[in-house]
Amino acid sequence: MFATVRSTTLLGVVGRAVDVEVHVGVGLPGFTIVGQPDEVCRESRDRVRAAFLSRGFAWPNRRITVNLAPSGERKGGAGLDLAIAIAVLIADEQLPPHVAERLAFVAELGLDGSLRSVIGAAPLVAAVRDHRVVVARGNVAAARAAGAADVVAARDLAHVIACLRGDDEWLVDTGSEAAADEAPTPDLADVRGQPVARLALEIAAAGAHHLLLVGPPGAGKSMLARRLPGILPALTDDQALSCTMVHSAAHVSMSTSGRVTRPPFRSPHHSISLVGLIGGGTSAMRPGEISLASEGVLFLDELGEFAPSVLDALRQPLEEGVVHVSRARTTLTFPARFLLVAAANPCPCGAGAPGVCVCDDAARAKYVRRFSGPLLDRFDLRVSVGLPRVDDLVDGGKGETSALVAARVLRARAIAVERNGTVNSTVNGTVNGTVNAKIAVDDLDTVAPLAPAARALLRRELEVGRLSGRGLHRVRRVARTIADLDGAPEVVGESHVATALQLRTGLGVLMGGR
Amino acid sequence: MPAGAVPDASDALGAHINHDERVVAAAIAALPGIGPQRLRTFIGALGVMSTWHVVRGEVRAPAHIAAVLQHDNLHGVVRRAATSQLLDQMAESLHAGNIRVLLASDAEYPASLRDDFAAPAVLFARGNLAAFTNRRVGIIGTRAASAAGRHFARQLGSDLAQNGVSVVSGLARGIDAAAHRGVISRSADDDDTQRDAPTTTGAPIAVVASGLDVVYPREHAALWQHVAERGVIIGESPPGCAPDAFRFPLRNRILAAVSEILVVVESRATGGSMITVEEAAQRGVTVMAVPGSPHSETSAGTNALISDGAATVCDATDVMVALGLDHHRHAASSDARTRPLPADRVVLDALARRPMTFEQIVAEVNLPLQDVAMSLGRLDAQGWAVVNGGWWEALLAMRAATTV
Repeated sequence: MFATVRSTTLLGVVGRAVDVEVHVGVGLPGFTIVGQPDEVCRESRDRVRAAFLSRGFAWPNRRITVNLAPSGERKGGAGLDLAIAIAVLIADEQLPPHVAERLAFVAELGLDGSLRSVIGAAPLVAAVRDHRVVVARGNVAAARAAGAADVVAARDLAHVIACLRGDDEWLVDTGSEAAADEAPTPDLADVRGQPVARLALEIAAAGAHHLLLVGPPGAGKSMLARRLPGILPALTDDQALSCTMVHSAAHVSMSTSGRVTRPPFRSPHHSISLVGLIGGGTSAMRPGEISLASEGVLFLDELGEFAPSVLDALRQPLEEGVVHVSRARTTLTFPARFLLVAAANPCPCGAGAPGVCVCDDAARAKYVRRFSGPLLDRFDLRVSVGLPRVDDLVDGGKGETSALVAARVLRARAIAVERNGTVNSTVNGTVNGTVNAKIAVDDLDTVAPLAPAARALLRRELEVGRLSGRGLHRVRRVARTIADLDGAPEVVGESHVATALQLRTGLGVLMGGR
Repeated sequence: MPAGAVPDASDALGAHINHDERVVAAAIAALPGIGPQRLRTFIGALGVMSTWHVVRGEVRAPAHIAAVLQHDNLHGVVRRAATSQLLDQMAESLHAGNIRVLLASDAEYPASLRDDFAAPAVLFARGNLAAFTNRRVGIIGTRAASAAGRHFARQLGSDLAQNGVSVVSGLARGIDAAAHRGVISRSADDDDTQRDAPTTTGAPIAVVASGLDVVYPREHAALWQHVAERGVIIGESPPGCAPDAFRFPLRNRILAAVSEILVVVESRATGGSMITVEEAAQRGVTVMAVPGSPHSETSAGTNALISDGAATVCDATDVMVALGLDHHRHAASSDARTRPLPADRVVLDALARRPMTFEQIVAEVNLPLQDVAMSLGRLDAQGWAVVNGGWWEALLAMRAATTV
């Protein structure tokens, strides 16, 4: 008469355990699902019923009530199909009551009774990690990527029932675990010349500084940006798991194993919507590009072409490392610890150089208005990238490889994390400043003291009004990273500050040098 | 608004006007459809008060004026606009903006302009017209000037002002503003040292296209104020008049007419500066030009002028000689900057060729990146180089002070 079977549903990028309760009782024949199912979930009725009939199971012509507990939260997706089917069979006494104990079911049913993969298998399965989880064959890799030990698969509803009755065996081995088979990251050795842009990439990677590349079309801005993930430190296990969850929930896979092992690189097109970038959606809340880029690189090519409202929405996640998406029914929090790299043309005509640029004042002013000052201010590194020199293209040898640069980055970051960690000033319970870009203003004097000459240099910049107070802190953080890459002296020297200043050119680069 | 309370029809024939001739002249200049040309025709033929009555239809117009008024229903348009409210409004704006109205018959009307074939019939002025008794040199150039060009204009303005020459310019962005900033920097020194002594600094003269109470471009508000305090701003647009595009070429003719010598600091091959040069040539005003690199777009116009026979200007002395003034009385401008270090010299030499970004400099000089960054920091602090929107430019010494 009554049965409970364990399944899960997806809330953003986290799975939630759901108890599928089924009551089969007297009354007019009917089939209702309660407990805030969404549209896809409600359609479960028709899929489950069709699967029963096409597999030759008797459909109980009685009053069937399905409750998805806890009923206070909205349930979405087709992953509950199999659990509902099993619960109906138990409640109708076609299966013995104890077969589903310590089991959880996460799969969609086809009308022919076959099991289908679902989106977000990794976070879904993670929510029922202490159970043996039954999934479709296509979800086994993703489910194991979530760290669930006991994952089994089945072909179709009949197979599941046979296994539950003990007449058949679960599918445990679904082919060899696909090793890391992600597409290879492009190598920095392909970049000829461009010493300044290369250094900027290295600093960005070492200190986690956001980077703006400004240069004419064809200067190689995207080429440079794509090589940044290759010099970032490898993901820790926790970071890799978090990335895997987000990618699974968004149904974006970096590899066939479903497991994310390298810092992701996302470069959304500039026509992207606010929801596409930040996350959200009406029924099922999906993570946006900034969450997919979490722990990796978010590359915004043609920054000026993005809708200003979309860019403005980046500011809060940039500060907090997470994004809170609120809708009428729910508020979800997605990770957003990404390194922002953006590219822009210096002006509408693209030439930029004084005397070569043909844009008139009005066109230039209109172009500059597309960039919000507060967003531009968040780029610690603003570098102008010129067209590669002919000599470099034709005669120049290959540049340094990513491996060499990555080794330096790793060393500099290790030094920084150790030093910054000792300061250990906490704000809101989280430790500040493990990477240089996040050093708290109060800690700058402790972890990045300035040599007298460096201090004089900054004083002048402030006096002539080229540097704001906030800009000063950003320059000091970048200078700290440069010093870390340069043998990590305790005191930040004049050359480090001078270089940091040159790597943060005025916003006028977007005005063709006026 | 006492007059405004009276219905328009009632003062039609009574024609008692509460305002003097100058306010009426300003109001006529503000009428739609009446530009400098028609204004000159009307006022030249009828005088100010009669013109007002004619446009209001209270007095029959002479045949040649009537012909103009019939054109495109001009008469209907101006009659609707020529109200007593307009007079009140003009009186108020002139008073609020501290703007004077000059008619060609006035003694204070600049003499060089009165004889001009296209002289404005009504001229607005804010400041002290005594500046027109000085020797006058126009300094003009492109709005999109290089930092080097602005530096030169500023230095030239400053040196000429020091020699008692009035610098005439248009208060536009770029060269114009730089030239007057140079003048202001000089007269500011005067203020500090000898406030009571009679100043020998040449007072600045600005010729603008918009109404004198409409600051354009807006970021020059302080500069307008300074020029009006230390010299004079003139223009033929009535108060409240917007900086319409067609007014700039008209402004340029006035600028050319009041200058004895016109110096073009930087200009592209075409543009507003070239219009001013054209107007100067028609009036027999000497045109001089500052030579620039053949690679520089912003010097294409000035280099073309020089090849057409314009005299070159490399410093203020060249202009003083052309004015026939004894330039030896005053010290040439001295370069007080510290000489750059040999290491920085390499960077400065590279910059002297063309403006460059940091990464271009690094590629060009082939020195370690951190050394280049330090050199730029020093050159900037010493005043040898300046960065603008990521582009570095060298500020080299003028010829008179080429001691480096």
